[in-house]
Amino acid sequence: MIEIGLELPLARFSLRVDARLGDGITAIMGPSGSGKTSLLEAVAGLRPRTRGRIVLNGTTLLDATAGVRLRPEHRRVGYVPQDAGLFPHLTALDNVRFGARGATDRVRAAVETLELTPLLARHPATLSGGEKQRVALARSLASDPRLLLLDEPLAALDVGLRERIVPYLLRIHDEWRVPVLYVTHGVGEALTLAESVLLLREGAVEAHGPALDLLSRPALSRAAEAGIENLLTAQVVAHDEEGGTSRVVLDDGTSLSVPRLSGRQAGDAVSLAIRAEDIVVATEPVHGLSARNVIEVRISAIDRVGHDALLYCVRTAGGRPWLVRITPSAVASLGLVSGQAVWLAIKSHSFRVL
Amino acid sequence: MLTGAELAVVGFTLRIAALGTALILVPGILVALALARYRGPGKSILETILALPLVLPPTAVGMVLLSLLARRGPVGRWLESAGIEIVFTWKAVLLATMVMAFPLLVRSARTGFEEVDPRLIGLARTLGCGPLAAFFRVTLPLAWRGVLAGTVLAFARALGEFGATIMIAGNIPGRTQTLALAIFQASQVGRDDRAQVLAGVTVLLAFVTLWTAELFTRRRARRTAT
Repeated sequence: MIEIGLELPLARFSLRVDARLGDGITAIMGPSGSGKTSLLEAVAGLRPRTRGRIVLNGTTLLDATAGVRLRPEHRRVGYVPQDAGLFPHLTALDNVRFGARGATDRVRAAVETLELTPLLARHPATLSGGEKQRVALARSLASDPRLLLLDEPLAALDVGLRERIVPYLLRIHDEWRVPVLYVTHGVGEALTLAESVLLLREGAVEAHGPALDLLSRPALSRAAEAGIENLLTAQVVAHDEEGGTSRVVLDDGTSLSVPRLSGRQAGDAVSLAIRAEDIVVATEPVHGLSARNVIEVRISAIDRVGHDALLYCVRTAGGRPWLVRITPSAVASLGLVSGQAVWLAIKSHSFRVL
Repeated sequence: MLTGAELAVVGFTLRIAALGTALILVPGILVALALARYRGPGKSILETILALPLVLPPTAVGMVLLSLLARRGPVGRWLESAGIEIVFTWKAVLLATMVMAFPLLVRSARTGFEEVDPRLIGLARTLGCGPLAAFFRVTLPLAWRGVLAGTVLAFARALGEFGATIMIAGNIPGRTQTLALAIFQASQVGRDDRAQVLAGVTVLLAFVTLWTAELFTRRRARRTAT
């Protein structure tokens, strides 16, 4: 639990944030210049003019009225800035070791989680943007943080999937159990990763709550127009060499056929992405379709996103909702309503492996 | 080739230059760091004052030092009561080289520190470094090029100091005579051959100093190739 009640004067406005954040992943969203990075820096202790209170799981990091102002080196808050902020004079390995105080176990585990082994001898100047972010994340983890602050610029850009930090973030969340504040522009990430979304506007909290509840907010729906992705974590079940596919199973038991996952073995965890607009909706069970996946779901809500309609679909077994984006005319002609059972058809090749 | 007395002059000059550079290193780095980080009022005045010895005739700097250190001068009076003699001793030579070399060190080191992204220092702090540890693990390694260049320039300047030295230390063979002063004296008494030899030695020393620094910089640069 992170209790934040802070105020920080910025150039154009004051950042004022009052919020209680959970121990999972909190997405921080909002337009550029709304104070997202300043919030992270204030929590890390890098903004001396911050007033108010920050309490992290019972440890007071800041209590201006009581005169408590923990120095950044005593906060144990890991910070990964937009440009990763690696030390250019050190190799990737020495960067990861930097704050570990000789805890080789933690260094090794961080290197493993972020899959850095092939990069360890390299200097930051020779790494790609995504690789830098991974090294910086490992560097934070190795320093044994009580909270991770992650400012991710790549989610907003059209970068290759390999550059994305998302699958690693899932692993960190599952294996390291560190609460994360995560600045992102990706609505799909907010929907699937984040326990809640803190929406900032001009330094103030415009809204705070589960991403699904905030999707109709202009700031989120504008971001959503750029594309919404369903992000899934699954386990590899088997490979079908001749069929060119692999079979995976989601946490809720849904079995999916995806493109052949080379280099993964049965039992391995895998992260998948599927764009909301790549899912086809049918009002009856479908047969004779080339799409290898047909999933029965129930529509729990229908929203507008830009000019499109967004369906929230849940399986009877529960689990994360599937987001499906179709045209309003499709909604009208199929007569789709909330509560209705529908079938989602997805081609194997529409899934992308992260 | 060099007489015993001349060798002693070379040794004296090298010792003074090395000691003077060593003594200004820490204060020079601190001042450079302060100037690089300080953003408040008076910054440009402070910088101008520090740069003055670079452009003033060294004899003028020597004159200022002399009036400060003279028996009736503000510092001299105090020194005399403490029983410390500076003017016309080797200490005056040392002082003159330190004062003249200091701005060169600060200037170059400051540029080095200004090139270090202050956010990296903040990040080092979040990773558990106190201010001092952050300085030695991040700031200094990233600014070392400027610091080294400043140190080398300061040493080379100290080797060749003439004007301020002659004002406050005189030109006393065996006591305060450095290479630059010895060249001057040899030429004054018509020993142009000795003056040429000593000038040659000076050129050689300066060349070796700068060249060593150059080689060192290159080797380090290759190791952290970008």
